[in-house]
Amino acid sequence: MKRRNLLLDILTYSFLVSFTLLALYPIVNVFTISIRPDDRLLSTSLSIIPEGATFKQYINLFTKTSFLNWVLNSTLVSAVVTITGVALASTAGYALSRFNFIGKQISMLGILTTQMFPATMLLLPMYIMLIKLHLINSYLGLIIIYSATALPFTVWQMKGYYDTIPFSLEESARIDGCTRWQAYYKIILPLAAPALVITALFAFMTAWSEYIVAAQVLQDTSLYTLPLGLKSFQSNLTTEWGLYAAAALVVSLPVVVLFIILSKWLVSGLTLGSVKG
Amino acid sequence: MDKTNNLINLFFIIIISIILSGCAKEEPENEIVIWHNMRPEEKQILQEQIDKYQRLHPDIKVIQLYKETEEMRSGYIIAAIGGQGPDLIYGPSDQVGPFSEMEIIKPLETVFPQTYLNKFNEKALIYSNGHLWQLADKLGNHLTLVYNKNLLPVPPKTDKELIRLGQKLTIDKNNDGKIDQYGLVWNYTEPYFFIPFLTGFGGWVLDSTNTPTLNTKAMVNALGFIKDLRDKYKIIPPEADYDIADVLFKEGKAAMIINGDWSWSSYGNAGVNYGITTLPLITETGLYAKPMVAPKGYSINVKVKGKKLKKVKALLEFLMSAENQLETALKVKTFPSRKDIYSNPKLLADPVLNNSEKQIEQGVALPIVTEMRAIWDAMRPAYQAVLGGAISPKEAAVQMQASAKKKIKELREDIENPVWGIIIQMLLVISVVLTMFLSRKNIIAFFKNFKKDSYAYLLAFPAIIIMVLVVFYPFFYNLILSFSNMSLAHIHDWSIIGFTQYVKVFSEPQFYEFFLKTIIWTAVNIVFHVGLGVMLALLLNRKLPGSGIFRTLLILPWAVPQYIVALTWRGMFNYEYGAINLILVKYLSLSPVEWLKSPLEAFSAAIITNIWLGFPFMMIIALGALQSIPNELYEAADIDGAKWFQKLTNITLPLIKPVMLPAITLGVIWTFNNINVIWLVSNAGEPSDKTHILVSFVYKAAFNLYRYGYAAAFSFILFLILLGFGLTFLKRTKATETVY
Repeated sequence: MKRRNLLLDILTYSFLVSFTLLALYPIVNVFTISIRPDDRLLSTSLSIIPEGATFKQYINLFTKTSFLNWVLNSTLVSAVVTITGVALASTAGYALSRFNFIGKQISMLGILTTQMFPATMLLLPMYIMLIKLHLINSYLGLIIIYSATALPFTVWQMKGYYDTIPFSLEESARIDGCTRWQAYYKIILPLAAPALVITALFAFMTAWSEYIVAAQVLQDTSLYTLPLGLKSFQSNLTTEWGLYAAAALVVSLPVVVLFIILSKWLVSGLTLGSVKG
Repeated sequence: MDKTNNLINLFFIIIISIILSGCAKEEPENEIVIWHNMRPEEKQILQEQIDKYQRLHPDIKVIQLYKETEEMRSGYIIAAIGGQGPDLIYGPSDQVGPFSEMEIIKPLETVFPQTYLNKFNEKALIYSNGHLWQLADKLGNHLTLVYNKNLLPVPPKTDKELIRLGQKLTIDKNNDGKIDQYGLVWNYTEPYFFIPFLTGFGGWVLDSTNTPTLNTKAMVNALGFIKDLRDKYKIIPPEADYDIADVLFKEGKAAMIINGDWSWSSYGNAGVNYGITTLPLITETGLYAKPMVAPKGYSINVKVKGKKLKKVKALLEFLMSAENQLETALKVKTFPSRKDIYSNPKLLADPVLNNSEKQIEQGVALPIVTEMRAIWDAMRPAYQAVLGGAISPKEAAVQMQASAKKKIKELREDIENPVWGIIIQMLLVISVVLTMFLSRKNIIAFFKNFKKDSYAYLLAFPAIIIMVLVVFYPFFYNLILSFSNMSLAHIHDWSIIGFTQYVKVFSEPQFYEFFLKTIIWTAVNIVFHVGLGVMLALLLNRKLPGSGIFRTLLILPWAVPQYIVALTWRGMFNYEYGAINLILVKYLSLSPVEWLKSPLEAFSAAIITNIWLGFPFMMIIALGALQSIPNELYEAADIDGAKWFQKLTNITLPLIKPVMLPAITLGVIWTFNNINVIWLVSNAGEPSDKTHILVSFVYKAAFNLYRYGYAAAFSFILFLILLGFGLTFLKRTKATETVY
C-alpha cells in the first residue's frame, strides 16, 4: 500500500465538504420553503428549519390534489419512453459502432446537429405536425417527441460505450456458431449493461420532468403529467409556494433515488468517447 | 430465422407499448374547455359554479385549466391557428387586441342579443373595430394603496402626506444601519405598477391614434418622483420585486403596499389588519394617481360553431348570472360587471368593495390595442435604467418613445414580395439537386451496398426515423418560415419574401451585443463546468473513505428539476434577504452586492446558477475517464520519480482528453441554447433587457411582438453559428476520432 499523505487528505476532505455544502444548500432551501407555515418564497430569516415548521403541505399534496393521479400518468409515459429509448438507442448505437455503412458519418453528424437548433423555436411547427397526425391530447404524441428528444444523446453515448468493447468478442462468438444477432444479444448487450442503465436513466429523466411540450400537447386534465400538475399550483402573481416546493421535492425524489442507486454505474456507463480509443 | 424473429418481437413490443399508452381522442361535442389565468381563490369559485352547472346539465362536461398569462397567450395563439385550443378563453381585456387581429376569437355581438348585453356595465363590453370580442365578469385588476392599520391608523391622502408618513414609518429599530421597517413597498420596478404615478403627473401612454406619448414632462417628473422616493426620501427598499414587497407587508415590515385587487384577501389570510384606500393625490398637478383598470372576461374560440356554440353560450350565461357574480364578488373582493346587482345591500356594505369601486372610478381603462405590448416592452428597460442610475429621467423618456415607435413599426411590419417566393423555391430545388449531385458516389454506393449493409440499417432505422420525424420536419418548416413574412399582419396568409428577415437580424445592433454575451456565457460556463468537474473528479478518484457518499451528494444538483432550483437561486441573490449577501456580510465581512439590479451582476448571477447546475455532469464524465486510466502508468511514473504536477499534465490530462472533448462539444451546444436558467434568474432579461443571451433575446423579441418569420430566421442563424463551431471544433481537436 502507498503511504497516505495526511495533509493532502485533509485538503481533499475540506474541498469535498465545502463543495458538497454548496451543492446541497439550494436544495435544502427548497425544503425550507416547503415546511414554512405560510406560502412564501422569501423570508428574512436564514434558518433552515423555519418558525412553526409544518409538513401540512405534504399532507395537502397527497390528500387535496390529484397528485397520485399525475404520478401514475407520468410513470406510464416515462416507462414507455424508457423502454422505447433503450430499445432504439441500444440497436442504433450498435449499428453506428460496429458497422461501416454508407450514411454513417452523416447520421452521426445529423444526430449531433439535432441538438443545435433552439428547441423552443421548434414548438410551433411541432404542434402543427401533431395536429395533422391527430396526436393532440394523447400520450402517443408525447411519447414520440420525448423519445426523439432523448435519442440523440443516448445513441451517442451507447455508441461510445460499444466502442470500448473489443471487436474480438463478437468474432469469437461467431466462430462458436452464434448468429450476428445472437452475438449482439447474448455477448455484447450484457457487457454494455452499465451504458444501458444510463440510457434508461436519461430517457426516464427526459420524460419525467418535461413541461413545455406537455403543456401544449395535453389539454385534458385527467391526462396531466407531474410537471403540468405542479405548474397548476402556480397562479398569476400568487403562487402556492409551499405546496409547489413540497411537490418539487417529491417529484425529484424518484430521480434522486435513481441517481443514488445508479451512481456507481453512472461513472462507468457514461462514455461519450473512450480512453482506449 | 432466429435473428429476424427476435427483431420482429422487439418491434412488436415497442409498437404495442406505444398503442397501449393511449390513442388520439376526437374532440367530444359535450365537453367545454376553459383556459384562464385566475388566482387560486377565483379558480375555486369557478370550479364550484361549474360543478353546479354540471348538476343541472349532467350531459355537459366542463373543464377549467389554469395557464400562466404569457403561456396562455402564446399557447392559445399556436393552438387556435391550428384550429385547436379551448372553447372559452378567460383573461384580461388586453389579450383581446392580438387575438381579434389574428381572427382567432369570435365576434360576440352575433352570439348574444343586445337586450342581454344591456345588463352589463359598459366597461365590461370589450369592443374593438366595431365588434364585441370579450364579455367581462370582473372589473378591476386595479392597484390601490393597502395599509397596515396597526402601524398606520389613517392612510395618507396626498403625496406629501405619503412621504411624511413614510419617513416616520421607515425605521432602523436596532440601529445596525439596516432598515427593519419600510414606510412603503411595492413592485415598483415593473411599468404596470408605475402607471399610477405617470397619470398622477398628467401623462398617458398612447394618444387616440395609438401613437406613443412617452416622451413628456409628466413622464420625466414621474420617473424622478419614484427615484426620489427611493434615494431622497428613502421610504422604499433599494430593491423590490413583487414577492419581496409582498413578504415585507405580510410580515408587518412595511406599513403600506401598492397592490391590486387580487392580493387583498391574501393579506387578510396572513393575519394583517389591512385597509384599502385610493392612491394619493399628486399635489404638484392636483391630479389623483390613477391606476389602470382592466376588465377580465371570456372570449369564444373562433372554431366553436353550430350546436357546440349554443352549449358554450348557455354555459357563459350561467357563469355570468347575477347570483354567481354576486357570490364571486363577496368572496374574492373583485368588482362585478352586471348592473342589476350594484344596488345589492351586501355589496354596498362591504368596505373593501366600496373603496375598490372608488378606485375603479378614478382609474383609467387599459387600452386593448396590440400596441400596448410595444409600450410595456419599451418602458421597462429605460425605467429600470433610471432606477439603476444609468440614465436620467429625461434621457429615459426620449429612449422610451423611440423604442416604442420602433417596436410598433416592427409589430405592424407588412412585407410582401411575390417574386422571392419563386426564387427561394428554385434555390431549394437547386440545393437539393446539388447535394444529390455532390454525393452521387455515396448514393450509388448506398444502393450497391444496400444488401451488405441492410443489417446495420435495420438496427439504426427506427431511431433515425423517429428523430427525422420529430426534429427534421419542424426544422425544415422553420427554414421555410425564416424566408417568410409570418407576423401579426400575416398570421394565416404568410408568403415567402426572401432574405429580408435575415437582413433584419444582422442589422439589429443588439444582435452583436448579445452575441458577445452568449460567447462569454458559454465560455465561462464551460470553463467552470469542466474545471470544477475535473478537479472534483480528481479528488474523488483519490478513493478516500467516504468518497462514494460525496460523489452521490455532488450529483444532486443534476437530479432536481431546473425550474424550481433556478427560482430558488433568484431568491438567494436578493439584495437584502438573499442568503448569498447575508453570508457575504456575516461570514466574509464583505459589502453586499446588488446582484439583480445592474446588468453585469445579474449576468454573473445567472452564470453562477448555471455553473451550479452543470458541473456534476462533467464531474461524472471525468470520473469515468479517470477510472479507466491503467494504474501501471502512474506506477511507472512514480519509479521515474515524476512529481504530482508532471503526472497530471503528462498522464492524466492527455488521457482524459478524448473522453472530455465530445462532452465539451455537447456542453457548448447545450449551454449556448440554454434559455431556462438565464430567463428564470434574470426574470426574462432584467434589468433593462440587458441580461440576455441570443436564444432568450430571440424568444422575447420575437414572440412578444408576434414576429414568427423573424424569429425563425434568427434561430436559423443561431443554428448555423453552432454548426460552424461544431464542425471546426471537431476537426481541430480531432474529437471525431472518438466520435466516428
